[in-house]
Amino acid sequence: MSKINAFAGVDVGSLGTKAVILVNGEIAGSSLIRTGINSVENGLESLEKALDSANLKKEDLKYIVGTGYGRISAPYANKTITEITCHAKGAHYLHPATRTIIDMGGQDCKAIRVDEEGNVVDFAMNDKCAAGTGRFLEVMANVFKVDISELGPLALKATQVLPVSSTCTVFAESETVSLLARGEKPEDIIIGVHHAIANRIKGLFSRVGIQSDVFFSGGVAKNTGMRKALEEVLEVRIANPKNDPQLVGAIGAAVSAQKLYEKGGNVNQRSA
Amino acid sequence: MSLETLVKISEAVGRRPEELARARNQGQKVVGWLGYNIPEELIHALGLIPVRLGTGGDGKLVEVGSRYISSKNCVYTRNLVGLFAENTDPYIQNSDLIALDSTCLQLYRVGEIIHYYFNINTLTLGVPRNFFLPEAKKYFQAELEEFAGKLEGFAGKKLDAKSLSESIKLFNGIREKIKNIYKFQSEDSPVITWSEVYNVVHAGYYLDREQYSAYLSELLQELEEKHRNRNIDIEEEEARVLLAGSSIPPGDNKIIKIIEDLGGRIVGDDLWTGILPYLGIDIQESSIKGLADAYLKRVPHGALPYLDLNTDKRLQNLRESIKSNNARGIIYYTLRYCDPYTFKAGETKDVVKQDDVTLLEIHTEYAGSDFEAIRTRVGAFLEMLRSGI
Repeated sequence: MSKINAFAGVDVGSLGTKAVILVNGEIAGSSLIRTGINSVENGLESLEKALDSANLKKEDLKYIVGTGYGRISAPYANKTITEITCHAKGAHYLHPATRTIIDMGGQDCKAIRVDEEGNVVDFAMNDKCAAGTGRFLEVMANVFKVDISELGPLALKATQVLPVSSTCTVFAESETVSLLARGEKPEDIIIGVHHAIANRIKGLFSRVGIQSDVFFSGGVAKNTGMRKALEEVLEVRIANPKNDPQLVGAIGAAVSAQKLYEKGGNVNQRSA
Repeated sequence: MSLETLVKISEAVGRRPEELARARNQGQKVVGWLGYNIPEELIHALGLIPVRLGTGGDGKLVEVGSRYISSKNCVYTRNLVGLFAENTDPYIQNSDLIALDSTCLQLYRVGEIIHYYFNINTLTLGVPRNFFLPEAKKYFQAELEEFAGKLEGFAGKKLDAKSLSESIKLFNGIREKIKNIYKFQSEDSPVITWSEVYNVVHAGYYLDREQYSAYLSELLQELEEKHRNRNIDIEEEEARVLLAGSSIPPGDNKIIKIIEDLGGRIVGDDLWTGILPYLGIDIQESSIKGLADAYLKRVPHGALPYLDLNTDKRLQNLRESIKSNNARGIIYYTLRYCDPYTFKAGETKDVVKQDDVTLLEIHTEYAGSDFEAIRTRVGAFLEMLRSGI
């Protein structure tokens, strides 16, 4: 057994697979790759890359936790935990004052309430359709013929918020095309799309409530326009991220790996 | 299945369709019923064979049902209509009359649909929307008298006080035994699981009621003995969950399977396909009035409105059930377009919060497309209850 106090979290999401290595409680390495069709290979590849970035080998790891939708196929993990719990742990690790998390990933979004120790106390999840997810924004970026990373900066250039009534991916696309045909400025439509998503997410918080500090995680949290729209619609300030928000789930998985190891966790623990 | 009586019950259920067909050939009549407020005592006292109908969890039948009833009706009712349309269910095939009550208005519509499209002989019992007004009691008694009169006509005999009294005694016994069996499943290191008890309840939909009562006595005896001699092994951080919400009829195993696969322990339910029909019924006199009064005093069905959360017997019962079963969380299962239970999810969550109990609503239908999403929610909920990470 290696003397290095190293733990790993692997988050196989619908669009991105992330891995984080913790050494002595600090992030020593990470990776982010595009999710392909094989969850097991994606998880292993991401883990290898994260280990490379930390200059470690797999044998150095004392415990691995898998999370994300691909956790059901994670034979490399000692235990699997849901992404809801992992985002809570990750957000608490990065920003201990977090009491509310907005997690917007590739195929769902979640409102998570946590206590002062990062334990989940309530949550709501929207996954009935693509609205409010990374996939939805990818479709929108395609309509505007821009890269998804450009959507946020474009939204910040808007001079007005054009109302976009639909958050159904199909209808929102046709509504957006109609607005463009009418000669509206793309920036104003884009911020309108972001506001429509934020209003939809507001519904999740009507179920679980909202309390500061608010933390924004998941791939969509990189989108500055989304962040601004959420702050305006939810009337809250969102904490500044210290790390890549897309890695929060993997960070939480690595933090959980360390805790479980310290509690005497073994490979036979029940998994979610 | 380590309990011998459970094996016997399961085998008896397997034989039941044939038994019913034989009984009908010998001139007996079967009343299949759907709903919550049909007094089985009345059917039984008239020498008719009561069978509680309804299965769920079949996406294909939902599609078939949607050809006859709006797709904005709940999946259970669409599944039911599909069941009548396909006509392969042995209990539907063996029913001479379908009795329904108007507690759930969607179910009430099912009665109209199956009569209109499939020419099925139906009989409906009207149920008041408010159980507490004197006018409501009068109305339900009159409805039940009319219902009984029509059943008498169908049975070809008059209801007599002695038969009714004997039937009431039989059904009181069944209710008492079911309640006692439920107590065993929530014990530490239980000798019977909630799922097994749930299957026993569902066996009671079909079996001959005298035979069923005898099986319940036998099961209780076996449980008492096994319970006395069991090894107690208390699991730390056990995620004890109470199931509540819309109906979970035989065949709808999705949520139960997910909870149990993830290591959650169901320790009770608040379902009208579970323990609820057996609670709070005290028939004071062997008469239609006695039945009507007693049925109105039961834990009400969630489809009925109420005006005051603090006096809502349904919520009071839920809170008592949380305590008596030592549940740490509620999984509140709602079916798509089952509006009454869906609307009540939020307020139920607020009410049980007073007891430091958290509630997770799972809103779903019978298709399997949301299986993994539900698995994630339930998994996170169980992790939350265990607080072990």
